[in-house]
Amino acid sequence: MDVFKIYSCFKIKCLFFLIFLVELSTSSVEIPRPRGVSLSRAGLYDPEKDFTCLDGSKTIPYDQVNDDYCDCNDSSDEPGTNACANGSFYCLNAGYKPQILASNRVNDGICDCCDGADEYTGRKSCINNCLEIGRAAREEAARYAELLKIGKQMRTELSQQGKKIKNEKQAKLNELRKNKEEAEKIKTEKEELKKQAEEVENKALEYYRELEEQHRKQKAEKESEKLREEAVDNFNKLDSNQDGLIDISEIQTRQTFDRDRNGEVTEEEAKIFLDNQDSADLETFIEKSWPLMKPFVTLESGMFKPPALESEAEDLKENDEQNEYGEGDHEAEEEEEEEESDDKAQHEDIENEEHITYDEETQKLVDIATEARSQLADSEKEVRNINDEIRDIEQSLKKDFGPDEEFATLEGQCFEYSDREYIYKLCPFDKTVQIPKSNSLETNLGRWSKWDGPNNNPYGLMFYDHGQNCWNGPNRTTKVKVTCGTENKLISVSEPNRCEYAFEFQTPAACRELSNESGTDLHDEL
Amino acid sequence: MAKWAIILGVCLLNIVVAVDKNNFKSCEQSSFCRRLRKYQPGESTYHLDFSALHITDNVVEAQLINTQVPEVNLKLTLTAIIGNIFRVSVDEVNGLHSRYKPQFALNGDPQETKLEVVARNLEQVTVSSGDSKVVLTAKPLKIEFYTKDKLVNVVNSKGLFAFEHYRNKPAEGETDPQIQDDPGAWEENFKSHHDTKPRGPSAIAADFNFPNAERVYGLPEHGDSLSLKSTQQNNLDPYRLYNLDVFEYELDSTMAIYGAVPVVYAVSPQHSVGVFWHNAAETWVDIKNSKDTDIISSLVDFVNPSSKETFVDVRFMSESGVLDFFVLMGPTLKSAVKQYVSLTGVHGLPQLFTLAYHQSRWNYNDQDDVTTVVANFDIHNLPLDVMWLDIEYTEGKKYFTWDHIKFSNPDNMVSNLTSTGRKLVVIIDPHIKREGGYFLHEDALKHDFYVKNKDGSVYEGWCWPGSSSYLDFYNPSTVDYYKKLYSLDNFKGTSHDVWIWNDMNEPSVFNGPEITMPKDCVHYGGWEHRDVHNEYALAHTIGTYQGLRLRSPHKRPFILTRGHFAGSQRYTAMWTGDNDAKWSHLAVSFPMCLSEALGGISFCGADVGGFFNNPDTELLQRWYQAGIWLPFFRAHAHIDTKRREPYLFSDDIINRIRTALRLRYAHLPLWYTLFWEHETQGEPVLRPLLYHYPEKEVIDIDNTALIGNSVLVRPVSEPGVTSVEVYLPGGSNANWYDLSTFTLYHGGSYKLSVDLDTHVAFYRGGSIIPRKDRPRRSSTIMHRDPFTLYVALDNEKTASGTLYLDDYESYEYKNAKKYIYLLFNYSNNKLTSSLLDKTDYPTEEWIEKVVILGPPAGIKGAKLISKSLGTVDLETSYDKQMKYLTVRKPGVSVREPFSIELV
Repeated sequence: MDVFKIYSCFKIKCLFFLIFLVELSTSSVEIPRPRGVSLSRAGLYDPEKDFTCLDGSKTIPYDQVNDDYCDCNDSSDEPGTNACANGSFYCLNAGYKPQILASNRVNDGICDCCDGADEYTGRKSCINNCLEIGRAAREEAARYAELLKIGKQMRTELSQQGKKIKNEKQAKLNELRKNKEEAEKIKTEKEELKKQAEEVENKALEYYRELEEQHRKQKAEKESEKLREEAVDNFNKLDSNQDGLIDISEIQTRQTFDRDRNGEVTEEEAKIFLDNQDSADLETFIEKSWPLMKPFVTLESGMFKPPALESEAEDLKENDEQNEYGEGDHEAEEEEEEEESDDKAQHEDIENEEHITYDEETQKLVDIATEARSQLADSEKEVRNINDEIRDIEQSLKKDFGPDEEFATLEGQCFEYSDREYIYKLCPFDKTVQIPKSNSLETNLGRWSKWDGPNNNPYGLMFYDHGQNCWNGPNRTTKVKVTCGTENKLISVSEPNRCEYAFEFQTPAACRELSNESGTDLHDEL
Repeated sequence: MAKWAIILGVCLLNIVVAVDKNNFKSCEQSSFCRRLRKYQPGESTYHLDFSALHITDNVVEAQLINTQVPEVNLKLTLTAIIGNIFRVSVDEVNGLHSRYKPQFALNGDPQETKLEVVARNLEQVTVSSGDSKVVLTAKPLKIEFYTKDKLVNVVNSKGLFAFEHYRNKPAEGETDPQIQDDPGAWEENFKSHHDTKPRGPSAIAADFNFPNAERVYGLPEHGDSLSLKSTQQNNLDPYRLYNLDVFEYELDSTMAIYGAVPVVYAVSPQHSVGVFWHNAAETWVDIKNSKDTDIISSLVDFVNPSSKETFVDVRFMSESGVLDFFVLMGPTLKSAVKQYVSLTGVHGLPQLFTLAYHQSRWNYNDQDDVTTVVANFDIHNLPLDVMWLDIEYTEGKKYFTWDHIKFSNPDNMVSNLTSTGRKLVVIIDPHIKREGGYFLHEDALKHDFYVKNKDGSVYEGWCWPGSSSYLDFYNPSTVDYYKKLYSLDNFKGTSHDVWIWNDMNEPSVFNGPEITMPKDCVHYGGWEHRDVHNEYALAHTIGTYQGLRLRSPHKRPFILTRGHFAGSQRYTAMWTGDNDAKWSHLAVSFPMCLSEALGGISFCGADVGGFFNNPDTELLQRWYQAGIWLPFFRAHAHIDTKRREPYLFSDDIINRIRTALRLRYAHLPLWYTLFWEHETQGEPVLRPLLYHYPEKEVIDIDNTALIGNSVLVRPVSEPGVTSVEVYLPGGSNANWYDLSTFTLYHGGSYKLSVDLDTHVAFYRGGSIIPRKDRPRRSSTIMHRDPFTLYVALDNEKTASGTLYLDDYESYEYKNAKKYIYLLFNYSNNKLTSSLLDKTDYPTEEWIEKVVILGPPAGIKGAKLISKSLGTVDLETSYDKQMKYLTVRKPGVSVREPFSIELV
């Protein structure tokens, strides 16, 4: 091919053909063009003519092209030097692929082009390793193509499974909805039965209720009598001058009443027990003073732990824990607390219940009612369970498992990655977590939010947010880069920003060609 | 880097939003300050005894007596120092303990010069040196300094001079006539800390009256305006000098922070004079400016305007040490600063890369992170020279070790960096982890290298590693050991391209009083920490400097320090510590660095973006646009902040930051030349307007700075503004060219409209600025690139400028005179280049372009004449829109003199 022919075939179609040719060939094609100019632009630099800047702003003698002085505002007169601030340099890289560099990379002592064309002053000698790089790149491309081929098959299978799962879920949902109707019907029946049984039971128990009420009253009277006795007893003890009145000084003598524990019972402190009067007679004492005093007196005798103190201690402990770990899983703590208090309440109920024996017939009726109640509870539970299941499935069906349901099989699985300090878990479509190896306190790094990949690969990135809050910072989030691989595997975890985690996950589900793969196109606008 | 958030946070749980003042003493809480501040102006109890006057060629010595305690023997010494400086010292004769004089602040012993006795009798002695004169008055003590016959400074005019000699503790019930009954004199408590004060009170003070002065400047480091405020007004505490690690320091404050440089300059348009208070103990300085006097005296002034006299009173108070000060006689601010620098030294010419862009973060996670960040800068064509590693690179905060997992192959990481001309800086702090098996700790214990408690046991404090001890850099054997730690054999993974960041060297002690070391700790030589505190960081960095000199004898060391003292400039660059991502902190970085520059420390910068918290993108961009105009230019961020490397943002933001970075890199020849001139001529690199323009209008301007004498910058540090006000000095004949548009302005006040792209920066008409306009990925790659000269013409159509160059890294410029120092002159339409020094450096650098701002009309071309090229015709072109003339490609080497005549 002679030079003239190349110039003459300077048409777009021809150009692509040329590039194609060059990229395939391993030996460089010599075309006279200024240094740093791509083949496609070679025609714009005609040594026979003055050079006009490509933006048309200026015309200069041809010998000022690549003379290491920037004349054109668009940098086009210095394609082969570093004279222009925003110029670009083209290297052919025969055997690999052409490259366009910022012209400030030219002659900077760093070999940027694999053919070394960017370093030509002789100060830095670059090895031309385009062939090796090209070979390696082609091998890599072949390896990837192979991976993609296998991966795509697997993806197809996954997609079929995914669709099956989806259908199954749909079917299950329909079934559950039916079951729900059924269960609700049963529940209504059981409600009716319970109502009837309880009516009968109630009537039968009326007698026993009255009995019970009498018992309670008697007991209360007894207790109030005891309290009064106790009060009188203490009144007498306190009334040291026996004048039938308890006055401030009589209270002040007792350290027991040092409410703020400053070693002294002040007048104010004493007055609190006397209904803010200077003294109290027996009746006032019984009614007002003693109920206030009793905790102090019993505390002193070591029988009583004031509840306020106990909860304070707990608070302290809680704070300590928070401090130690910097942050606590508040939700979990709260739940625990609730359970605890429920337990306590039940326990007390049982203790306080007095055992009453019914006659045989009444007992029978009670048993029937109890059975009815239990059956109703069961049927309610059944409805609840079905509702839960329906909700789960509905939520799952709402999730985006990819255009072909190829990611659906990942739901419900978890994948682990372990580094020096932690084990990380990715449970796709659910959450990401971090577990220290030293203990097993799990930290939530984010809950499934959405697919967040770029437009050309929306399923290339998963986003998990609203993880556990960072001290003095945001809630933890995780971005999971999803790439093609022949097995499901979490391959790396890092924390590029504090509390922002980056996972990399391989799965055959991600094996497909992307609309614009990794910018191998070399733009060469004219 | 006070990474305090974690520790404080545990206690407070809420986000701490500002400094906790309770952690730091007020004057009232500091026994000696409280005591000395109670003195009222009046007749001084101090008398000089001229009956036993001792006068030699250079020295006047006289006995000084406090009439309250006449048995105490004090001696006052007056000497003249070369360069129009006087020195006055007062010390005890045969005192109970010796008093400390800073060991490292002075750049060698100041050279004395001849004092002429002009007159003497028992009441007064008058001596002179050159045009300056000192009058010593005996009863009461008074020292007056005259330039020619103008009184410029009076010591003890208010009678507030004080000298607490060392004494035995008075018996119970006895009252000390001098100390009275101050409860903190013999022991002192602050919060839970107890200072045992075994040597009792030892404070000193002196007041300086500066007649006719309008302002005082100096006393860095404070988060405050350049011009010092009147203290005692509005309950303002005195300016405090006590190196402290202050978490989230506040602005507009006289509180002490990381550094202490006890020098002040009293300035009026007619005259400037300075005082360098040579003391390393805790120091408080009261300022009283006549402009701030109360309403009653203003009324008097109004009624009787002739009584209106401007003056400034400055009173230094220190806790211990010799009373020793230098009077810098000026008579201009420039000469006073040079006098100060002649005493305490300059920063030697740094390597070029240190003036380029530094990228830091607490912390880059691992070696791959470092490599990736650099790669991203390259991908986005953002220049970058230095990557930084904060404390997390170490194995468990043990300095001189690497985390073997995250930084498993530092050699490889470093060679990745240097392959593109980049460097690495790693942090080394002075606290040493107390851990068995850690070689440094074991060596320090074995050889007794640590600071001691007063009972002689090793002091333990709490810092990053947990329980730590502190190297005693006052011990010569400690320094001798310490400097060897930097050898490449010992500190594996480093190379001749790895440099050092010394942080936390106030010293910072998390559980110590005021977050520092207890004052009754003891250093080598028996000095209490009280005596030497402000010098600790300086002593630390001297050790590092010696270590790096030893390690890399052919390369100029680079060290960044946070704590600093007078003289630190000889060894280190400094930065303004842990600032905040707030507009106010962006703004204050200029007055802070200007103040440091007057205090001899030119190599100053502030964390770009702000250390604490997350800057919004406007603030970040503005911070880059401002940061390029401070000598030290580094972005840094707290570990809790979001990543903010510039490439992480949208294209418009990247482009703006790239423009800013490129401006910095283009001006590197200017910065480098200025540092050469700093080293050789003692001129600050960054200068306040008043340094060159003794105009009344500029005395309070500190949002504007001069880079040398040729560039004026007024960084935009206000959010969301569409215009800013700027004052251009020099009067209506002065020319100032907008640096981006080349628009010509004359001296005066302007309101300029700005957008996010605007840099408010000007070239001074009359200056020639050397630039390198080819953007590269790092400064190392620019070593051989050609220069463009920007010739900004003044009203007379003349201009001049200088250019310095060498190999940009070694000591050959000193050892073998391998450098080129050029003077460019432009007049009569002709630019000439001549060598200022008869030296040479075999450089390939050449002149690629000359840009003339405000050019003459009707130019058709240019003629270059040089020895090797002969006469060459050059093309010129005129840009009608921006009104500048370009001379195309002179192509001449900078090694030979040349001329370019416009024709």
